[in-house]
Amino acid sequence: MGVNLRGIVPKTVVKLEDLSGKTVAIDAYNALYQFLAIIRQPDGTPLKDNTGKVTSHLSGLLYRTSNLVELGIKPIYVFDGKPPVLKTEEIQRRKQVKVEAKVHYEKAVAKGDMVQARKFAQATVSLKDYMKEDAQRLLGLMGLPWVQAPSEGEAQAAHMTRRGDSDYCASQDYDSLLFGAPLLLRNVTVSGKRKLPGKNVYIDVVPEVFTLDKVLKECEITYEQLIDVGILIGTDFNPDGIKGLGPKTALKLIQKHGTVENALPHIKNAEFPHPPQQIREIFLHPKVRSDYTLEWKEPNVEGIVDFLVREKDFSENRVRKAVEKMQVGTKEQKSKTTLEKWFG
Amino acid sequence: MFKLKVSDAKLLRDMAAAIAILVDEATFKIEPEGLKLRAMDPSRVAMIDFEWPKTIFEEYVCEAPSKMCINISELLKLLKRAGKDEAVELSLDDKTGRLQIKITGKYSRNFNMPTLEASEEEVPTPKIAFNIKAKTTTQGLSQAIEDAQLVSDHVRIEADSEKLLLNASGDLMGATITLQKGSDALLDLEAKENSKATFSLSYLSEIIKAASATSDIATLEFSTDMPVRIDFQQTKEGKLTFFLAPRIETE
Repeated sequence: MGVNLRGIVPKTVVKLEDLSGKTVAIDAYNALYQFLAIIRQPDGTPLKDNTGKVTSHLSGLLYRTSNLVELGIKPIYVFDGKPPVLKTEEIQRRKQVKVEAKVHYEKAVAKGDMVQARKFAQATVSLKDYMKEDAQRLLGLMGLPWVQAPSEGEAQAAHMTRRGDSDYCASQDYDSLLFGAPLLLRNVTVSGKRKLPGKNVYIDVVPEVFTLDKVLKECEITYEQLIDVGILIGTDFNPDGIKGLGPKTALKLIQKHGTVENALPHIKNAEFPHPPQQIREIFLHPKVRSDYTLEWKEPNVEGIVDFLVREKDFSENRVRKAVEKMQVGTKEQKSKTTLEKWFG
Repeated sequence: MFKLKVSDAKLLRDMAAAIAILVDEATFKIEPEGLKLRAMDPSRVAMIDFEWPKTIFEEYVCEAPSKMCINISELLKLLKRAGKDEAVELSLDDKTGRLQIKITGKYSRNFNMPTLEASEEEVPTPKIAFNIKAKTTTQGLSQAIEDAQLVSDHVRIEADSEKLLLNASGDLMGATITLQKGSDALLDLEAKENSKATFSLSYLSEIIKAASATSDIATLEFSTDMPVRIDFQQTKEGKLTFFLAPRIETE
């Protein structure tokens, strides 16, 4: 779920084209979950190969990523490792949601209500080990780098961005800012038209940039205090936060009292499962690694075709077209220069 | 306090149009001597360097140096409402932070728009030793660019001491355009060393199209695989110069 900072953090809308030449560290699980949720047939059934294995995530990974590479964007996919112990509660909660959604899904299918079926099917999404392995295999064939994070993928992506190995972190969750990402991109893997959940309304989803410095300046708080705002609202490590407390109130409380500890006496019925310092530590000193290598190589065209067409029943024509787009983009990117090279 | 006035709206409109091809949000430096702007497009391939001394304006008031950032395409929309020979007055309301745009002619219109947070970025001048200096008419240059655009989306510009060549090759067709020294299109050519560099035609054509409205003569300076500097000589005082980064052909 991630922390909900919507409405209190300033954003800038950008065009994907403007990110040409930039490196983007993408929260892989976050992206794969979206692909699994969105890329489905009208009744909610995901795409599958002839052995019944789900392929929705591979479809998203190939087509969406090739769009980015075509524009000259250099993606790095960062995979989650072992979640922090404090996340157990949130993981349990998510499991429960899925179990309930599955029951509702089956009921809806039995009733023949496809709109409801699709809605609940999307909520049952879970990422199996084979999906992760398939995704990493495909990225390897596409010549794109991926990094296995020791723990949270967002923390690792933020770390890489802070070190200058990546220009942006890409995730739908605001947690990246709490992990110290200087620049967060949302809506990179999902831009375009998108149906509003539960409604027959389509909205334009455009990429948004959040700059940590600007967020802190505009909210008039320090980075540590932003983490505290998150803790009050609720993070993956204390999903409930303080019940009934929204982003705006949380920000006001931290602006006024400085820390969660100082703010708590001023909140009615404030209960806290874990000492705030424990949660703060996860954001301030997350488990990350620096021993990764990032290399962008030529795609292995026949390898991709063998995997996706022969094993996963994709359309050969579409796969080849997507790979061709990537190659054109990479070539174009190689020939481009920016004026910065001559600033000396 | 900042205020300026021009008797012919065209001057401001053409300036805004030239800036709008590269940036959405334009941060102007308002100085006692005049107005300046230097900015790169978001992909950092092209740069505009623009200066207008206060003598260009009918009236120019700047009490202290400051910066003003505005959405330039929105301003352009308003300026397009002004007819030829109508006067335009821009003034910044310090209290509200809004820019007032007053157009007077057959009747009078008062628009206002917000100013935005000014960019802190100082764009340096690219350091390049140029080997070619070609003085062209903007008309000749834009014709040559239009020719090249028929066959490709990028063009190789080459020069020696006699001529300026534009070479374009697309998937199917090719084109070579020659501008001979001393011809109507190429007024002067200085070459220290034969040079060639390739550029995006969409950038070139947009820049030249917009800048031609303000200028009849363009001076191109370039060296092999270096950015091109295009200076558009202004009919009045002032400076309008663009830099465009080259494409490096890998094959």
